[in-house]
Amino acid sequence: MTRYAMVIDLNTCVGCNACMAACAMENQTEVWNDVWRTYVHDKEIGTGEYAHRRFFPRLCNHCDNPPCMSVCPTGATYRLDNGIVKVDQALCMGCRACAMACPYDARHEVTYADVRTGREFYGSDYRRTRPSMDKCTFCDHRLAAGQQPACVETCVGSARMFCDLDDPDDPVTRIVESGVARPLMPHLGTRPNVYYIDDMKRRG
Amino acid sequence: MDVTMSYATQDIWTWWIAIYLYFGGLGAATLAVTFLTDMYLKPHRDLVLWGAWSGIVLLALGSLMLFGHLLDHVAVIHVLNPLVLFYQPHAWIAWGTQFIIWMMFWGVLYALPYMYISPFFQKLWGVNRVMDWGWVQKIAELSTRYRKFIGWMATINGVGVAVYTGLLVQSFPAVALWHNPGIPLLFTVSAFSTAMAFLLLLMYVVIHDAADDHIRVLYERIDLVLISVELVIIFSFYQFMSSGDESAMRSLQLLWNDLGWLIGFIGFGLVVPFLLELRGVLKGWTSHVPIVAASLLILVGGYLLRHYIMYNGVYAYPW
Amino acid sequence: MSLRNAGGCDDETITTEDSDMAWNLPSLSRRAFLKTTGYGGAGLTLLSRVGRLAGGTADEADGEQTSYSICNFCSSLCNIEVTTRSRHGERRIVKLDGNPHSTLNRGKICARGQAGLRQTYDVDRLKTPLIRVEGSKRGEFRFRVASWEEAFRYIAERQQAAAIKPWEWTMVGGWTSCVFYMNWSVPFAMANEVPNIIASPMQHCVTTGHLGTDAVTGNFNVHDEVLPDYDNARYILLISSNGSTGSVSTCRMVRFAQGRKNGAKVVVLDPRCSETAAKADEWLKIRPGTDLAFLLAMLKIMLEEGLYDADFLRAHTNMPFLLYRDDDGQWQPLTDDDGRPLVMEEHSGELRTLPAFANDNRVAADGAGVHPALSVPAGFTARGRPVKTVLQAQIGELAGYTPEWASVSTGIDAATITRIAREFGRSRPAIVNPGWHGARYGNVMMQRRVQAMIQALNGGINKEGGWIMSGEVHHKAAHMFEAMKEGYEPGAPLARLAGMPFAKMVIGAVSKPENFSHGHPGWTWAFNRQEREAGRFNVALPVLTDTGVRESVEGRVLWEEKPYLTRAFFINAANPVRHYYPDSYWKEVLGHDNVELVVAIDVLPSDTVAYADVVLPNSTYLERDEPTLYGNGVNHDLALTTRYAAIPSLYDTEETADLLVKMTEIISGNVDGFIDWVEKLTGLEAAAVRAAWEKTRATHPRGAFAAACRQVSFAQEARRLGISVEELDRELREKGVYFEADRQEVLEKYGMPRRMPVPTDSGRIEFFSNLFHGLRQAGYDSPHFNPLAGFIPARCRKDRPMHAPLEKDEFYFTYGKTPTVSHASTNSNNPVLAAINRFKSDIYKRVWIHPDRAGVLGIRDGDGIRLTNTLSGQQATGQAHVTRLVRPDVLFVYSSFGVENPALHLTEGDGTATNKLVPHQEEPVVGGFRSQEFTIRVARA
Ligand SMILES: Nc1nc2c(c(=O)[nH]1)N[C@H]1C(S)=C(S)[C@@H](COP(=O)(O)OP(=O)(O)OC[C@H]3O[C@@H](n4cnc5c(=O)[nH]c(N)nc54)[C@H](O)[C@@H]3O)O[C@H]1N2
Ligand SMILES: Nc1nc2c(c(=O)[nH]1)N[C@H]1C(S)=C(S)[C@@H](COP(=O)(O)OP(=O)(O)OC[C@H]3O[C@@H](n4cnc5c(=O)[nH]c(N)nc54)[C@H](O)[C@@H]3O)O[C@H]1N2
Ligand code: SF4
Ligand code: SF4
Ligand code: SF4
Ligand code: SF4
Ligand code: SF4
Ligand SMILES: [Mo]
Repeated sequence: MTRYAMVIDLNTCVGCNACMAACAMENQTEVWNDVWRTYVHDKEIGTGEYAHRRFFPRLCNHCDNPPCMSVCPTGATYRLDNGIVKVDQALCMGCRACAMACPYDARHEVTYADVRTGREFYGSDYRRTRPSMDKCTFCDHRLAAGQQPACVETCVGSARMFCDLDDPDDPVTRIVESGVARPLMPHLGTRPNVYYIDDMKRRG
Repeated sequence: MDVTMSYATQDIWTWWIAIYLYFGGLGAATLAVTFLTDMYLKPHRDLVLWGAWSGIVLLALGSLMLFGHLLDHVAVIHVLNPLVLFYQPHAWIAWGTQFIIWMMFWGVLYALPYMYISPFFQKLWGVNRVMDWGWVQKIAELSTRYRKFIGWMATINGVGVAVYTGLLVQSFPAVALWHNPGIPLLFTVSAFSTAMAFLLLLMYVVIHDAADDHIRVLYERIDLVLISVELVIIFSFYQFMSSGDESAMRSLQLLWNDLGWLIGFIGFGLVVPFLLELRGVLKGWTSHVPIVAASLLILVGGYLLRHYIMYNGVYAYPW
Repeated sequence: MSLRNAGGCDDETITTEDSDMAWNLPSLSRRAFLKTTGYGGAGLTLLSRVGRLAGGTADEADGEQTSYSICNFCSSLCNIEVTTRSRHGERRIVKLDGNPHSTLNRGKICARGQAGLRQTYDVDRLKTPLIRVEGSKRGEFRFRVASWEEAFRYIAERQQAAAIKPWEWTMVGGWTSCVFYMNWSVPFAMANEVPNIIASPMQHCVTTGHLGTDAVTGNFNVHDEVLPDYDNARYILLISSNGSTGSVSTCRMVRFAQGRKNGAKVVVLDPRCSETAAKADEWLKIRPGTDLAFLLAMLKIMLEEGLYDADFLRAHTNMPFLLYRDDDGQWQPLTDDDGRPLVMEEHSGELRTLPAFANDNRVAADGAGVHPALSVPAGFTARGRPVKTVLQAQIGELAGYTPEWASVSTGIDAATITRIAREFGRSRPAIVNPGWHGARYGNVMMQRRVQAMIQALNGGINKEGGWIMSGEVHHKAAHMFEAMKEGYEPGAPLARLAGMPFAKMVIGAVSKPENFSHGHPGWTWAFNRQEREAGRFNVALPVLTDTGVRESVEGRVLWEEKPYLTRAFFINAANPVRHYYPDSYWKEVLGHDNVELVVAIDVLPSDTVAYADVVLPNSTYLERDEPTLYGNGVNHDLALTTRYAAIPSLYDTEETADLLVKMTEIISGNVDGFIDWVEKLTGLEAAAVRAAWEKTRATHPRGAFAAACRQVSFAQEARRLGISVEELDRELREKGVYFEADRQEVLEKYGMPRRMPVPTDSGRIEFFSNLFHGLRQAGYDSPHFNPLAGFIPARCRKDRPMHAPLEKDEFYFTYGKTPTVSHASTNSNNPVLAAINRFKSDIYKRVWIHPDRAGVLGIRDGDGIRLTNTLSGQQATGQAHVTRLVRPDVLFVYSSFGVENPALHLTEGDGTATNKLVPHQEEPVVGGFRSQEFTIRVARA
């Protein structure tokens, strides 16, 4: 079995946004509408003299227990055996229940107007035919072709890493198993598959 | 991971879904109450016709709100298909849609015999033509024969709709205000309370039948109970939200600093009608005006409840 | 007529059958409809699970192809892989990735690189030649569509009617024209006898910053930035630097990230929390303009405490060379009568003569072994004078520059400075980032020299975990040294010269009147000579600068008593209105009545294009087969690469090399001479090019000359490598890079200075700079020309030191690059990058100001503010980004915004324009801009 997961090392994410651009181009997202499958936040944290800047990439966590899927009335949101949670644009009616259910703000809408703009913007190569909710797919089409997700592939800080949690020899899996990489808000019971390595330990 | 959190309310499901939830609960409860009244209290043509059709119209309007906001209107076909319950049994919208459809279906069937004896429908152009068709008459006969069964089918689906509106909101785990068992309860109680108010309004303003007094009194009493239950639920929500979950505490801060919620909903939507109806039940009113006013307030309050609940769910985002 | 109309119908638009009905009922095309299952048959199928409404991604691409190219958005020159797909009869570029075979950028590219394909599909592109509408003014951006013939005829007629002489032309080039087309632009200048070139990277970074570094390492080259080996460093110190790492030069950032993962300690000096500072273990909030003080204190501590690699200094640097003070108190090298350096033998105390040019001081001129002393005893004399070693002289020069002294101006306490110096000196390998963009203060060149010295102190030059020069530079230098040794001409200088000889060649070409039959040197040289003679401020080495262009246009530069006028501009891939300082300077220059003709080549309607009379559209980089093969940028490995066109040009655009031919026809008619010059300067065989051109003219409606050059270039390189053209082509098509030698091999064979000399005057790493010594001998005596490390204060206010208190509303001004924009380039109009910039607009497009200061001025986050330069009175507006991530005495802006041309419809009006605040101030060595040497007053707008 394969269980995909992503590990993001906040210690080397430089907030360059290459992942955002890569994802947009790879997945033909609606950049004109300021929606993204992945974002990198640029945050000021800490107090007074100890203010600091933190870059925080985020995307769909491909939860093992995805609330977005259980609320989906059409079955458009589904989960593959390898853990990837996807939206079928042909089934989705765009009720947005999934967006309401997702605790990670990982979904955005694609409207009829977007589909029209997309045809102009991406031209003959445009793959989308219907409006729907959209989100990160872990670039499963690239995984199928033996490639890494677009954002991982290009991450100039090597902050994004990808692995198969069922492969104990995968060095990235070992990072997860070691416990230094931890998921966001696991108490919600979503069982997320995106793990973060904290960057705060190095500073007092 | 320990990270800084930011807190946000959503802007995805806004007033239109509040209307959907409101009309859904109100319409379905109205239908159910009138059918029950008709079956067990007193056969009542006008009440059934009003109840069935306003239920259907309200649900249609509410559903239209939802439908209009869909991203892909054609794909709605997937939830109209009854098999959806086998594929997506965990999705409340799937249940809700089926409840709505079948409530409407059984509701029309139940009302059909009454339509034949209603001067209004006899004159209603188009509808009267349809009622003349042979197979429609056949159905009306069957409907008369299986009145109780059909009535219960409609009622069950109606109650389903009312409960569903709460279950739907409850199914979003990120927001503590929504993700708790109190919400379906609150929405169901509110649905029936608004339905009572709606029917009282109807009976005081449109139907005016002195013979219905006992029904009105019953409705008033039930409504009084429902409002008190609602007040208890709101109070326990306050208790639940004031400690524990950060998301809930933020919702609480938003709600209990909002005059629309405090004065609009709790004050004029619950407490004032409660007092008006209490006095009506204890001492009686000489005029209809206080009860009519109370009913109107309850109806507005019903919308406000859903509006504020939708707008004040707080997501806690770890970035 | 607006440009969008002028461009004609947009090819990309695909007509859609959508109805615009209120419900947006979906319009299933018939094909899609048939594919949907279920509802077609009605009846029972209603009760089966409803099928998909559309094909989804079912009809995957037919014909996916990959090809290889080079990114065009910064001089990191990343190798890229281009994916194209053919569908419905159209081949489209659909994705760019880092070339996985590249050891330079390791399969990764930054946001700009990723978004690059949208430049080709930018709806605002220049799609046809344009001619300024009769009666309009330059800058108004009113153009009419023209054919190529019309455009060239227009240029030829203006040239003739106005009788523009060759020296009255000035070429302006950006970094792309410099890196990719130098091999044609310089021959173009020589063949047409146009001695005037302004190159935008020069005053901003290449000469201003790099020449300082190169004075120590000799490494001068086209884009000679060093790629440090961060992977293997244990300590990384970054000073005034973000573009290399945080704001992303991919080849550097991938290594930096690896180094950090490997546990390197990172220290960053920056007045604001840059992307790099955000990744540091220690962010030191230094006061801007004072880094030199910090570095001098560091140098002092390291020298005095012996925190250096003594063997390296002794063997490969001029630290042991002897100096004496002349009668004016200036340090002079002690040499023998043949000008050869003298050292003291450590053990015997005897004087020994070393070869004038060599890499190893352990071999004396006579071939015997030496152990040169790094210090001579007090009172030591030689050839009748008291002498000291360079090391001792340098320590003497640093006497006053204690950590306590430095802490006053830098605002960093003495203990921290001392600690950093010791940590750096004791951690090996350690890297001080060389720095890149230089044009901030008059002292930056000196700062870069000191950085290079500190790097050399720990021996970290061309060594694992230190600075490693490119395989290409090593290779070039090796050939050059071999030629020198064997006594033959190294050959085509643009291809063969490395380091200081290359710099001198470039300077010689345009500064000497005798190189041109008309007897004019470049006007900047004439101007600076004139200013020098008049005792006014002047620049010693105005290499490809704009110093004097305004005076020349206005008729204030005299040459042989006559005005040396500039009357025509030929601007290629440069945007001086946005990139130079201030915008008004260049607007006035280009708009001046004396200027008869402005021709601009670009791909997008930049702010400068608006000032052209004729606009010539270039193809974009993804549509290009380059006219030659290139080295692999700063890669440590030695490799060749080039671009392959991914798609045919979308519009009727032309190649730069062909445009240079066309312009040559017009200016001098000397096309043959041009091709000969190409051979002379680059080694591309003229006869072969002519023969190939005969053929490509028939096959290539556009770019025929470029294609011919490419063929010859492939043939010559294949011959050199001993393989067939097909093999070379196949390797490049399959991998995008042709590797000749890896880094280990390069360093083992050519490693400078351990294996062979560095290309300085002496062949050694120079702590005592011969370059600056030479200039000082020529009479340049300001502290900028100190041959040793010395102090130059930044002067942001008249007569007030940097640490003197500021007024309540007064701030130092700093700027830096945005990770998602190149310079102030037109790629801020790229729809993907523009979208990211919108997402981060409060950070990227606003003016950073500290809350303590903003509060006093009543400025809240997001408020409109007005900025006024206290020295020049220039003004600009912006919005406040109130943040503690900047020093309280400092304002920071990302310098990528402020586009004025509405034809760049996604970026026009964004942000604060730095070029409206920065005055035209230069330093005296190379005319480097002093773009932060002032203060700013802030008020609510
Ligand atoms: N405001 C501001 N000014 C700056 C800087 C800054 O950050 N901000 N940075 C400074 C530095 S360090 C440098 S090195 C310089 C760099 O300055 P330039 O070398 O001038 O750099 P770019 O901005 O990359 O490109 C200039 C022009 O080239 C055009 N161009 C892009 N691709 C092509 C092409 O394929 N063909 C042709 N013909 N034209 C093309 C762009 O549209 C743009 O108009 O700028 C300096 N000036
Ligand atoms: N995204 C992007 N990256 C690029 C380029 C690009 O155009 N865009 N261009 C490339 C090129 S040509 C160049 S030249 C390089 C330039 O790269 P760098 O030389 O790194 O230049 P900047 O990014 O302009 O500024 C670096 C940092 O210097 C800080 N700073 C300003 N003044 C001072 C000071 O007085 N002291 C100290 N210690 N810090 C100060 C700024 O806050 C900023 O964080 O970038 C390269 N990489
Ligand atoms: S992150 Fe959100 S969208 Fe993604 S699987 Fe989890 S709940 Fe669903
Ligand atoms: S929007 Fe689409 S994917 Fe989301 S719940 Fe509704 S039907 Fe499912
Ligand atoms: S995995 Fe793919 S779809 Fe998901 S964020 Fe990365 S690039 Fe986008
Ligand atoms: S590409 Fe990598 S380093 Fe850059 S912002 Fe994205 S995650 Fe961070
Ligand atoms: S660092 Fe980015 S912009 Fe520069 S060459 Fe590489 S991919 Fe292009
Ligand atoms: Mo630069």
